[in-house]
Amino acid sequence: MEEIPGVIRTIPLNYYIFLSTALFVIGIVGVMVRRNALIIFMSIELMLNAVNLLLTAFSSYRSDPAGQVFVFFIMAVAAAEVTVGLAIIVMIYRNTRSVDVGILNRLKW
Amino acid sequence: MFYSVVLLSIFGILNLFLGFLKSRAWLLPVTLLFLATALVVTLTDWNKSLFFWNYMMSTDNVSVAFATIIIVSAMLILPLSRFYFPNAAAPVPEYYAILLFSVVGAILMVTYENIIMLFLGLETLSIAMYILAGSDKRNPRSHEAALKYFLMGAFATGILLFGVAMLYGATGTFNLSGLAQYVRTTLVNGASPMLYLGLTLVLIGILFKLSVAPFHFWTPDVYDGTPTLFTAFMATVVKTAGFAALYKILSVSFTGIYSVWWITLAATSVLTLLIGNITAVYQQSFKRMLAYSSISHAGYLLIAVTAMGQTSQSSILFYSLAYTLATITSFAVLILVNENRAGESFSAFNGLARHNPFLAFALTVAMCSLAGIPLTGGFFGKFYIFINALEKGLLFLLVVAVLMSAVGIYYYFRVVIAMYMRGSDDNAVADRIIVPKSYAAVLAITTFLTILLGVAPDLLVRYF
Amino acid sequence: MQQYLPSDYLPIIVQLVLALGFVATTMLATNYIIPKIFRNRVHGKVKDDTWECGIEPQGDARTPISIKYFLTAILFVLFDVEIIFLYPWAVNFRSLGWLGFAEMIVFMTLLMAGFFYVIRKGVLNWD
Repeated sequence: MEEIPGVIRTIPLNYYIFLSTALFVIGIVGVMVRRNALIIFMSIELMLNAVNLLLTAFSSYRSDPAGQVFVFFIMAVAAAEVTVGLAIIVMIYRNTRSVDVGILNRLKW
Repeated sequence: MFYSVVLLSIFGILNLFLGFLKSRAWLLPVTLLFLATALVVTLTDWNKSLFFWNYMMSTDNVSVAFATIIIVSAMLILPLSRFYFPNAAAPVPEYYAILLFSVVGAILMVTYENIIMLFLGLETLSIAMYILAGSDKRNPRSHEAALKYFLMGAFATGILLFGVAMLYGATGTFNLSGLAQYVRTTLVNGASPMLYLGLTLVLIGILFKLSVAPFHFWTPDVYDGTPTLFTAFMATVVKTAGFAALYKILSVSFTGIYSVWWITLAATSVLTLLIGNITAVYQQSFKRMLAYSSISHAGYLLIAVTAMGQTSQSSILFYSLAYTLATITSFAVLILVNENRAGESFSAFNGLARHNPFLAFALTVAMCSLAGIPLTGGFFGKFYIFINALEKGLLFLLVVAVLMSAVGIYYYFRVVIAMYMRGSDDNAVADRIIVPKSYAAVLAITTFLTILLGVAPDLLVRYF
Repeated sequence: MQQYLPSDYLPIIVQLVLALGFVATTMLATNYIIPKIFRNRVHGKVKDDTWECGIEPQGDARTPISIKYFLTAILFVLFDVEIIFLYPWAVNFRSLGWLGFAEMIVFMTLLMAGFFYVIRKGVLNWD
């Protein structure tokens, strides 16, 4: 088997940038237009994974492990965020039987 | 600083296990003792310039000072929790543990030398705050605050991380000095566009967390819905740590391309000052007014970051301290008034001066400090920031800031007028509020320090 | 590195056309052509039901499940992802030596402290 960084480098770097930018933009659009808290949350995870992909690509192109170390930290922190976020969403679901962000209008200026 | 981070993490875990003991009486003193230990350990780093963990963290006097402000504000907010949880089943040990962990995050944010550490600190602080925002499990307003804060915060994290990835792609390093080196060489060779994109996204991410306009819209809702005790923590510790982090990344790494980013920061600062101050005028609730006031103070602090002069750092430090002290006072009084008079609006403060002159006096001093009236810490905070702006020639920023301070006096004094001029109209309100000893001590300390900073600012400033 | 020409992608296009063609043909056939020939109905209570063998389905699959499952699932996510810090260590086990081992012991101790807390809290009690 070839070295994995070598395999990653068979595809030009720009393609990785385009792909992860596209994923990131899909995530942002998802956060902006969807009304379901869970789907907004999934979009945020998509953004984070776009970042992971980009960091891995840069890291193997530069033969520098720091980027992949950062990916580990992003994954671990994202897991902690998932835990807290899902707990919040479940707490709201138990009280309102809905995860639509449209109901969140009790606080208005 | 290394040891205070390690100690506080261990203390946080210890605190979780202390919750299994039968008696809760020792919990608060022990937690305060933990924080005091961390404070002493932090102060031993004074006048040392050290790097830890392979250039992941560094200490200098300014970061020690910021860490001190953070730990002290945590120590001032903790005693307010004494009678805050009427429910005996409230998981108080967990709240204390989360507060300790968030202090760890805040310390990482002021001492980072590598963007990995900035990210970890920011997330440790933010995730702790998401939990605390939703800690009032029976109150739908708290749920809403938690969900909004969580979704907005995670979104901001995503944007920040994409910016970091772009910076990494352009420079190949996460190290602040490595970034600075790249920025210096690009001035000769021409920079990759990814650097500018990355910097913009990182700034958006951090400004989101700092609730700077146009990324402020979640702030009033979150501050309003969160239990007041934790709002106090959010408004002080998160702001202080965030501005220290913002200043550090810009001053260490990106001074070379100052001409690129200063105009963005100047524009957001003007916008923040306008939106924060003018919207605050229309608020009927004292708590929401404080939320908008915290947005407007972010605007003032941003002026100092934009100016980026020799003394910017010390003026950010001074301003954060003055703002923190005054904000803790206001939230402490708000907790007492809300619990005894059941209201967060301005009218709940009617006639407070007649029954509780001490509370009224403390709140008046805090309001004067927030508004920037002389003889309080807030005045010198604003003064130093305006001097920074003047030295850099940012006259239009100065004009906007002075005008907005005048607007600020109007809404800060509404509560003072309510306390001194208005009589309390119904009998339930007329009752005297019994101030617990812990609250009295905290209020005395914050008020004393606010006046001390206003009378003798040299005590602090001469060290920097 | 090998260069690809646009013509090299022709098999993919052929595959795509075949796949779409199959879907379109079967849908047309089952909905319009077969009913015409054999004169049987397309819609009906039995026809539109989910195909099941054995007992008939009851209720909706999306019912709320007990909150206990949620806590367990959440804890699984948390502890599962922490494992990723073990991989780099496991790959470089020899070169990291005893220092790496000690650091991993510290990491696992902190993780186990959390686990112990969860057990003491009674989250994993199953009744």
